[in-house]
Amino acid sequence: MRDLLAFCGYETSEIESELSRIQKAFTRLSITENDIETGKQRVQTYYDMELKGIRKLLGCYLRECVNIVLAKEEGKKKIVHGCMAPGFDIIGGAINSHFPDAFTMVPNPMFMVVLGCIFGKFVPILEAAERLWLKTGMVAHCAMVKSRLGLLSLGLIPKPDFLVTSGSTCETSPKTNDLLQETEGIRSLCYDSCRDIDPSEYPVQTRAIIFAAESMRRLTRVLEDNMGIKLEGDMLQEMLDAKSAYGKALGRIHKLIHTSDPVPIGSTHGNLLAWLGGAALTIDDTRKATAAFNTLYEELEERVHKGEGVLEKGAPRVLGILPFHHSDPSLECLMNTLGIAQIASDYDFPVPGSTPPDFNADSDPFVAIAQGTHSSPLAFNLSGRIEIIKKACRELNVDGVLNHYHVGCRYVAGDAMSIQRALTKELDIPVLELEWENFDPRVFDHDHFRSQLEMFKTIMKNKQG
Amino acid sequence: MNSNFISEHLRDRLTGLKKEKGNGTRIVGYFPGSYVPEEIIYAAGAIPICLADGGNRNATEVALSLVPRIICPFARGQIGEMLLKTNPYYDNLLDLVVAPIACQHVKKVAEIWEYYRDVEVFKLGVPHQYDGDLELEYYTDRLRVLMNKLASLTGNRITNEKLRDAIRLYNRMRSLLKSISFSRQNPSSPVNATDFIKLNHDSFLADPVFMITALETVNNELNKEKAATYTSGPRILLTGPNLTRGDYRILELTEAAGGRIVIEEFFEGIRYYWHNIEEDGDPLRALAAGYLRDRLPAAFMRSSTAKRFHFLNRLITDFKVAGVIWYELQCCETYDQEAFFLHEKLQEKGIPILTVESTYDTSDAGPLKTRVDAFIELIQGGMDNA
Repeated sequence: MRDLLAFCGYETSEIESELSRIQKAFTRLSITENDIETGKQRVQTYYDMELKGIRKLLGCYLRECVNIVLAKEEGKKKIVHGCMAPGFDIIGGAINSHFPDAFTMVPNPMFMVVLGCIFGKFVPILEAAERLWLKTGMVAHCAMVKSRLGLLSLGLIPKPDFLVTSGSTCETSPKTNDLLQETEGIRSLCYDSCRDIDPSEYPVQTRAIIFAAESMRRLTRVLEDNMGIKLEGDMLQEMLDAKSAYGKALGRIHKLIHTSDPVPIGSTHGNLLAWLGGAALTIDDTRKATAAFNTLYEELEERVHKGEGVLEKGAPRVLGILPFHHSDPSLECLMNTLGIAQIASDYDFPVPGSTPPDFNADSDPFVAIAQGTHSSPLAFNLSGRIEIIKKACRELNVDGVLNHYHVGCRYVAGDAMSIQRALTKELDIPVLELEWENFDPRVFDHDHFRSQLEMFKTIMKNKQG
Repeated sequence: MNSNFISEHLRDRLTGLKKEKGNGTRIVGYFPGSYVPEEIIYAAGAIPICLADGGNRNATEVALSLVPRIICPFARGQIGEMLLKTNPYYDNLLDLVVAPIACQHVKKVAEIWEYYRDVEVFKLGVPHQYDGDLELEYYTDRLRVLMNKLASLTGNRITNEKLRDAIRLYNRMRSLLKSISFSRQNPSSPVNATDFIKLNHDSFLADPVFMITALETVNNELNKEKAATYTSGPRILLTGPNLTRGDYRILELTEAAGGRIVIEEFFEGIRYYWHNIEEDGDPLRALAAGYLRDRLPAAFMRSSTAKRFHFLNRLITDFKVAGVIWYELQCCETYDQEAFFLHEKLQEKGIPILTVESTYDTSDAGPLKTRVDAFIELIQGGMDNA
């Protein structure tokens, strides 16, 4: 256990003070000694343990995972569950920072990294949801939503008083919460946007942003009334400031990876970098995560200065459509092995003019939050999304695009073929299209993906000349 | 139920529409789901045509060149029609298409049409918290923008009076459809589900003034008839996300098995006739409230499950339903979740329910027939050990 915690960046003193909590949480999660051994092997296989910044980031996930598991017994009286709720991390983080009796948890990223990436034990959670109403088969319910239902039905997370989600890009998520409301009596709250932007409006989304801000404000008021708290504007602003620093620190790392050859870090880490942002970390924990990013940046910068990298110089460079896999780094690990550098995802490229969201610029924190959520490349429609991806390809001068579309999401999967057509026709870039599930480890088929990636690499190499 | 004169009208409809278009009248297509108020299109002096064709496997397969299989067959069908260019209602006729931002599938149809087709697409924002003030304001505002767009397209000013006239016209149509449909509460009603649904679908294409006259005739004949043409067979509620023009297999199979569909509730494909629009006050606000807030919410709307279940429960009681057939198009993710809930609840009440999934593919005709036959037999008290 101590070795694993050291791999996760825990200092000796923290190991001593936290060990009993962690053991208690692991018991709840049925993590055995064998699992811990497996975890130690997996983190060394997938992650660069030489990098202190990476170890610290793993620690951020593990710490929050333990906080979630033990929330109820450690005295949290009102618990809010957030999932697929972009921007709610800021509201939840502010609640967690200022109201000791209240707790906002966003368990999915934590459990996907801890139970999925580290311990390789994520599938039973999905299977639990499939035994209920998120069945397997052609309907392809999203494994992100299955994770929520599975975690709750298995009792791995405390039963919340409120479920919060957003329907901005997804209807499965609010519907699942609606059914949880009917079957489990947990109140479901949702904030929305409206995706009716005309291509001629691109990239302006003022109407959608204002609507989303008002929807989010209303939801927050309902939470305040029911939890007996009052989120003042300066509490949200303080959280926004912490998030802004966090975003800038992350942005520096992305920029370094985008511009370095050889790449200083493997793409298995992409998920660790991206996924923590969705958690409702307190201001202090957000600052700790920011410090981990800064440490990592310095370590990577040193490698770049020395001309060191994890793949050979000139390795084909790829933009991934949609983020890295969230619960299993196998595909990214395979790409590293094959010498393909996935240097970015389209998520690194916001809607032009919308970001980096300058959280301090607006006096209304809800508008600032909504601006941030609408800077995602998914915020726009098909034609806008294609423009953003084309721009990213040109900027990065990539050799190819890995279009692994998340089949559980109608919104993104419906765009995949049009994106491929546009990129091959207009930019003459090879595109490898994989039907994919971004949250379900069972999607990984080593032999199938290996042969596809080898062929993809050959095509890219040939085009490089 | 004699509706031959409607068939004759529809046979000549396309020629008539082309003639009207030649004379400068604008033809405005819209996707179904009852979030696009035809009243506004009509009040603008344009002709509304609902693009609600389905059941065509060829169209759904062709669409796979642009979208994957997880986009539902109905939505793929709309994309397929765009690509095939063989359906006269979808090709060259339209001056504008209004696409409600409803479920993910229809949203994707809107974006694909917008990206690939020459015809202009107006995406009508439909907020999904149907009962909120914020959402009602937003939707009202989007209807206002649509109204301005239509005024600009047609060159006609849309006055409140014109809107009220249109509301009265469509209220009459809805009332007549409701009257014909509700006649099935009476066990001796001669109305057959296939005929009623086809009549409903016809109303999407026909001239509304003609359609009202036609429906009045049908309704009057029914009042006179009252003959017990269909009195036997278990009474079935048919429900689900989508039942479109041309997708009649489940109706035929149920009726062939001896079941009698006495009421339907679908989000897409069937004209919504349960509520009328307020005729007094600000007509645009009345339309917004009527189309967004007062109607039964679709399953993808927030916190809709309880309300929808209560509504279906009421139908089961009011129409003396013996069994429920849940007809779902494959990959419809929100309705698929709701099916689970409905199953549990109806089983608690002892009401049999059969879930049928369709891809518009006819290769499963045999197994599907067996399932429907067995279900009807089970309700009739056969299959003692079932």
